[in-house]
Amino acid sequence: MKYSYYPGCTLHSSTKEYDMSTKEVCKKLGIELVELEDWNCCGALGAFSYDYLLSVTLPARNLALVEKQNLTLAAPCNACFHNLAKANKLLKENADLKNKVNDIMDSPYNGNAQVRHLLDIIVNDVGLETVSKNAIKPLKGLKVAPYYGCLLVRPAEIARFDDPENPQSLDNLMKSLGAEVVPFHMKVKCCGASLIVGEEELALMLTRKILEAARDAGANCVAVTCPLCQTNLDTYQKKIESRYNIHLGLPVLYFTQIMGLAFGIEPKVLGLNKNMVSTDKVIDLLKSITITEKPQLVEVKAGG
Amino acid sequence: MIKVKNLDPNFKYQLSKELGGENLEYCFNCTGCACGCPVAEVDPTFNPRKIIRMGILGMKDELLASESFWKCVSCYTCFARCPQDVRITEVLYALKNMAVREAEKGNIKIKTTKPVFDKMFIDSIKANGRVSEATVFAGYTFKTKGIQGLLDYFNMGFEMFKKGKIMLMGEKIKGSKKVKHIFEKAGVK
Repeated sequence: MKYSYYPGCTLHSSTKEYDMSTKEVCKKLGIELVELEDWNCCGALGAFSYDYLLSVTLPARNLALVEKQNLTLAAPCNACFHNLAKANKLLKENADLKNKVNDIMDSPYNGNAQVRHLLDIIVNDVGLETVSKNAIKPLKGLKVAPYYGCLLVRPAEIARFDDPENPQSLDNLMKSLGAEVVPFHMKVKCCGASLIVGEEELALMLTRKILEAARDAGANCVAVTCPLCQTNLDTYQKKIESRYNIHLGLPVLYFTQIMGLAFGIEPKVLGLNKNMVSTDKVIDLLKSITITEKPQLVEVKAGG
Repeated sequence: MIKVKNLDPNFKYQLSKELGGENLEYCFNCTGCACGCPVAEVDPTFNPRKIIRMGILGMKDELLASESFWKCVSCYTCFARCPQDVRITEVLYALKNMAVREAEKGNIKIKTTKPVFDKMFIDSIKANGRVSEATVFAGYTFKTKGIQGLLDYFNMGFEMFKKGKIMLMGEKIKGSKKVKHIFEKAGVK
């Protein structure tokens, strides 16, 4: 299995552990990632606020590169995935807009690229059975709060692969690794990432609610699929604790880091020492459990 | 009270012509967007239904001056739940685009600092093709909160630095000139 890889700006700087764990896990699963050559920033959500046409054209340049590479694009960041998939949809459906965008770009985009989120590829192309087979160290005893965020599942016409209100792909993935999934009603509630710089107070209030819900549900850690969600929940967690005088101490791991642990990959190789809230609790918990039984595959359909 | 003589009957057409604003007039004011909006839950001054209503009624000046649309977090919850496919998140982008242009022309002055960050963010892309997180974050914080603002993030920044999560120099792509060209041709200053 070969995919074009779009890490996005944050995976090259403040969230290197997502990049590291993605590459490790994909290697184990037989996914070959070929980084898209000379990719540019997708514009994130700031560009849309500033100029809509620009924010379709920035991802369009990447889509034109993907088209030449002739591989399906894998994006691990929810926001990059959203922007690339949204631009792709708009350009495929709106000929006027496509002409406008192609007029702005040096080399045109013909509308033949495919964009997927990494989680979608792992759950639907690789499949949970293969994932489960690779889980040589099942995560029995680990309680996970699966956090999807917004742009992975909404709007459904762009995200497409899971339910926008009650998604299950990440739940099922965690279960296939042997972890216990706690009931988590905040799984698709926004963390406020796009406002963390600019309207920090507001964003912290949103993030606080998610972390408190995960803690109260009895989770040992939160599983995330996006570097922006992770930054809000992890990097800003200390600030939230001191601002609201509460205790959280909740490790926030990328789903790829959790997969890597179950695959028996060394924590350091997965960048677990780079998470801001110490991940030692998770590592110690898993060390204390010695089991050999394979995780049971129980798949739940989304939407219920 | 809404003063009818102050309403701009053309505003809804202007907004509908913007990219993202196309479905504005489909709204039948049901409040589905405001229920479940994560921002409205914590900030009573933010109400997406009200923003859309003001747009349709033509309360242009009041709406642009209120600036509340800058608080939308782009989570698409309202978009997903709207029975009329108004595409509220997108309409709010259209409003923000309009506000930015009006501010550039000198017709309004934007007080909220969110667009300052957005501009620095896209300027970073314009210069290098990719965003330099550290430079944009520090630049924005210094510009809006001064030295003390920067110092408030010292501990967090230092922790991140120790973990190798801060790249002082951003990446520059080979095609950065092509990206710059995109900005110029799109007419983005």
